[in-house]
Amino acid sequence: MADFINFYFIPGLLLGSIYALGAIGITMTFVILRFANFAHGESMTLGVYFAWSLVQITGWHPLVVMPIAMILTVLYALSIDRLFYKPLRNAPVVMLVVASFGLMLMTRSVIQFFWGVQLKSVLPGIQKPILVMDYLRISPKHMMIMASALVLMFAVHYLLTYTKIGKAMRAMSDSPELAKLTGIDTEKVVVATWVVGAALACAAGVFLAIDTHVETRMGFKLLLPMFAAAILGGVGRPYGALVGGLIIGLAEEISSYPFIGTEPLLNPGYKAGVAFAIMIGILIWRPSGLFKGKVF
Amino acid sequence: MNFLKKMAITASAIAMLSVGAQAGEIKVGSAGGVTGPIAELVAAIVKGRQIATEHVNSNGGLLKGDTMKLVIADSACDPKAAVDAGNKLVNVEQVVGIIGPSCSGATNGMVSSVTIPAGVTVLSDSATAPSISELKDKDTVFRASASDAYQGKAIADMVWKAGKKKVAVTYSNDDYNAGIANVFVKEFKALGGEVTGNQAHEPNKASYRSELSTLAQGGPEALALFAYYGSSGITIVKNSLENGLFGKFYAADGMFDKSVIGQIGADNLKDNIWITQAASDTEDASYKNFAEAFKAAGGDPEAPYAAHGYDVAFLMALAIEKAGAADRTKISAALREVAGPEGEVVRPGEWAKAKKLIADGKKVNYQGAAGVNDFDANGDVTGLFSVNVVGDDGNWSRSMLK
Amino acid sequence: MDALYGYMLYGISLATMGGIYAVLTLGLNVQWGFAGLFNAGIAGFFGIGAYTTAILTTSATHRHIGGFEMPYIVGFLAAMLICGVIAYLVGKVCLRLRSDYLAIATIGIAEIFRLILKNETWATNGPRGVSEIPKPFEHWPEPWNQFGFLLLVLVVVAIVYVLVEVARKSPWGRVMTAIRENEPSAKAAGKNVENFRMEGFVIGCMIMALAGALMAHYLKFVDPNATDPLLATFLVWVMLIVGGSANNKGAILGAFLMWVVWSATEIVTSRLPDELAIRAAYIRIFLIGLMLQIFLQKFPQGILPEKRPDVAKSNGNAETKMAD
Repeated sequence: MADFINFYFIPGLLLGSIYALGAIGITMTFVILRFANFAHGESMTLGVYFAWSLVQITGWHPLVVMPIAMILTVLYALSIDRLFYKPLRNAPVVMLVVASFGLMLMTRSVIQFFWGVQLKSVLPGIQKPILVMDYLRISPKHMMIMASALVLMFAVHYLLTYTKIGKAMRAMSDSPELAKLTGIDTEKVVVATWVVGAALACAAGVFLAIDTHVETRMGFKLLLPMFAAAILGGVGRPYGALVGGLIIGLAEEISSYPFIGTEPLLNPGYKAGVAFAIMIGILIWRPSGLFKGKVF
Repeated sequence: MNFLKKMAITASAIAMLSVGAQAGEIKVGSAGGVTGPIAELVAAIVKGRQIATEHVNSNGGLLKGDTMKLVIADSACDPKAAVDAGNKLVNVEQVVGIIGPSCSGATNGMVSSVTIPAGVTVLSDSATAPSISELKDKDTVFRASASDAYQGKAIADMVWKAGKKKVAVTYSNDDYNAGIANVFVKEFKALGGEVTGNQAHEPNKASYRSELSTLAQGGPEALALFAYYGSSGITIVKNSLENGLFGKFYAADGMFDKSVIGQIGADNLKDNIWITQAASDTEDASYKNFAEAFKAAGGDPEAPYAAHGYDVAFLMALAIEKAGAADRTKISAALREVAGPEGEVVRPGEWAKAKKLIADGKKVNYQGAAGVNDFDANGDVTGLFSVNVVGDDGNWSRSMLK
Repeated sequence: MDALYGYMLYGISLATMGGIYAVLTLGLNVQWGFAGLFNAGIAGFFGIGAYTTAILTTSATHRHIGGFEMPYIVGFLAAMLICGVIAYLVGKVCLRLRSDYLAIATIGIAEIFRLILKNETWATNGPRGVSEIPKPFEHWPEPWNQFGFLLLVLVVVAIVYVLVEVARKSPWGRVMTAIRENEPSAKAAGKNVENFRMEGFVIGCMIMALAGALMAHYLKFVDPNATDPLLATFLVWVMLIVGGSANNKGAILGAFLMWVVWSATEIVTSRLPDELAIRAAYIRIFLIGLMLQIFLQKFPQGILPEKRPDVAKSNGNAETKMAD
C-alpha cells in the first residue's frame, strides 16, 4: 500500500496538477476563441526556457523568477494572437487550428535555434524525500510544486468568480452570442483568455522542469494529455479541466501498478496512450465531458 | 505537366548557383541527425568530424594540397530525411564518400536506397544496429562503432564480475537502447545471472517512479539502465535515488555525459554508477592526441561518440589519400588498406606523417581515438570499452574494461 | 558530364519524393479540400500503410513477423484496406463532432500507432524497424532502376489524380462542397452529412496509406519515425495550403513545389559556416511555417484556387439527385 501511494498515487497527483494547469488554457481557448490550440504546449516550453534563462542570470530559485517568466510568456502569447490569430478571426475556425499547428512547429524551431537542444536543468541535484509516518515519502520539491499549483488554482477560481473580466469570460464560454448582446467587450475577453492560458502554461512547464529537466520537446509531450483533460472535464469548464487533468495524471501512473501478480497491469511503454484511450472513451459515451461542457 | 518542367528548371538553377565547387576542394558528405531526437548528442559528434578535417587541412591537405570540405546534411534520425540527404550528397554535391549518419534507422534507409546502388562508401560513427552488418552492401558500408552485440556482452560481463547475481533491466524504447538491452539480458542469463524484471519505458516522461517501483520487486541488486541521459536516464536515476528504489546503476554509453553529474550530484553517484563506453583507453596515445585537440576547440572529448566522429573523418581522409584521387569507386578498398591491422601506426592528429607514409607507398594502420578500427568482413569493428565511475574530484574517471 | 548526370539523379529523387507527397496531399485534399475535415495525424495513416506493405512483402527474418513475400500490389491494396478500416472506426467516433475533435483524435491515433510499433517488437522489430523491403525495379541497372520507380510513382499519382478529379466533378463531389460551405442547407436538402463526411475521411486515409506504402518501398526501410509529425503531417499541410486546397492540380503542384523548396534549401544552407549550417535546419522549419501562415492570411486560396465544376454544362441538378 505504501508503495502504491508513494510511487503511483503521489506522482500521479503531481503530474495531474501539471496537466490540469495546462488544460485550463486549452479549454478556455477552445470555448472562447473556438479552436483547439495545438501551439499551447510550445507556450509551455517557451515559458520554461524564459525561466531557465532568468535562473541563469539571477541565480535565484526558479519559483522566484517564475512570475517574470509568466509575464514574458503572456507577452509572447498576445503577440502571436495579434500576428497570426487575429487576422483569421473571421475566417472559418478550422483555419485557426491549421495556423496553431504551424505555430507549434515554428515556436519549437525558434526555441531550438536560440537555446540549442542541449538538456538543461533549472534545479540541479537530488532531494531525498522526507519520511512521514514511517512510510509516506514526500519530497520538499513536490510539496512546493503542489502548494504553488494550489495557489494558482485558487487564483483562477477567484478571477473567474469575483472579477468583472472573469465573469465576462464565463459568460462568453456559456454563450458567446448572448455575451455579445449584453455588451461584453469580446476583444478584452480574448486578451484575458490568452493571459490566463499562457501564464498557467508557463507555470505548469516550470513545475515540470523543477521535477525533471528542461528540454525542447517537453511541451509537445504534454499536449495530448492536456487535450484529453480538457475534453474529459468538459470543454469550456475550467474546473472540469482541473479535475480532468488530475484524473488523467493519476490514470497514467496507476495504469502500470501491478494489481494482478507482479507484472504491471499495463506495459509502461503504453502509458502515453492512456490519456488518449480515456479521451476516445469520453468522446464515444459523453462528448460533453464530466462537467457538461460545450460540444461543437 | 508544364509546372513540372518549370520546377525542374528552377531546381537546377538553384543547384547551379549554389554548387560551384572551388577548385582544389574535395567534398566529403557529413550526414548527421542535427535535428531530431538525438540532436544533443550529434552536436559533439559533428564537432569531432570538423576537428579531424581541420587537422587534415592544416597539415598539407589531401593529395596535391586540396582541402577537404565536409558538406553537412541533416539526416534527422529519420530514414525519409536521410534518403533525401544522401541523394543530395551523392548527386548534387558529388561527394567522394559519406561519413555518418548518426542513427541506425537513418543509416539503414540511406545506404539501402541511395549509396549502395550508387556505389558510394559510407562510414558511420554511431550506427550500432546489428542489422546493418547483414546488408548486401558490395563492401561499401563501414562502421567505426561496435555493433550492440559487443557492448551488451561487455556490460553483462562487468556486472557478473562485480558479483551481482540479480538485476532489473529497463531500457528506453528506441533503436539504440532496445538493441543493447536485448543483448545484455541474453548474455547475463547465459552467465547464470537472474533478471528480475525487464521493462521498456517511453522516453521523455515526467516521472518513472511507478515503473521503478515495479522493477524494484523481487530483490534486484542493481538496475541495468539503457537510456539516453537526456530523454529519460537522468530522471530515472534521480527518481530511484530520491525514493530509495535502486542504489546501484549499470549503464551504457547513451548515459554518459557531464550533465549526469551536474544534475544529480557527484556525491550521490560516487560508487553507485558504472557506465560503459565505446571508447579507447584514455591512457592511449591516440586518445590523448584527440582529447587535447578537442579540448582546445572548446568541446568535451568524453561526449558520447565524439571520438568516433573524429575517427571517421580522419579515416575517410586517409582513404582518399590512399586512393590517390577523389574517386568514389576506389574509397572502399582504400579504406580497408589504411585501417590496419598491418602497417605503420598512425594516430589522430598525425596527418603529415600519414601523408608521407602513403606517398612513400608504405602501409598505414590508423589507430583511432575510439579504438583500433580494424574492419572485419562486414565492415564492422569490435571496439574497445571503458567503464566510467565518479572519481574523487567529482568528475568522470575512466578505466578500460579488459 | 558527371555533374549533369548527378543533377539528373537528384532530379529523379526529387520527383519521386515529390510524387509520393503528391499522393499524400491528394489524400488530404479529399479530407480537407472537399469535406473540410482536419486530419492532424496524417503521419499515422501514412505509417500504417508503410508497415503493412513492409511486413507483407519482405522475406522471412527472425526480427519481425512476416516472410510472406507478397507482390507489391498486394502490399498496396492491403495497406489501403487496413487503413480504411481504422479510418472508419476513428470517423465513427469523431465525425459527428466538430473538426477540432477529429484533429485531436487523429494526432492521438498517430501517437498510439507509434507506441504499438515500438512496443510490439515481435511483430514490428520495435524501434529497430523493418529493413530490406524489396523495391520495384531495383535489379535494373542504374539509373534505369530509379527511372522505373519514378515511373511507378507518377503512374500512381496520375491514377489517384484522375479518380479524385472524377469524384470531385461528380454529384458526390458537389454534395461534399455543399456540406463544407453550408452544412445546414445541405442537411435541409436531405443529404446524410455524416455519411458523406465518413466517405471523404475514409477515402482520404486510404490514399495516404498508399503513399505510405510507396514510401516504404522507396526507402527500403521503415521504422517508427514514419509517424513523425514534422515530415509526414506538417509538411503535407503546408503543401496543400500553398498549392491550393480543393484543387487537385493545386495539391500536386504544392507537393512538388514544397518538396523542392524543402530539399533544395539545404543545398544552400550547407554552404554556410558549420555552426550556422547545423542550426539552419531549424530556420528551414521556421520559414516553412511562416510561409504557411502567410498563405493562410493573405492567399487562403493557394496558388491554384478552387475551380467549381461548371454546373450548367454537366447538367448538375439531375445528377445531384442520383447521389442520394
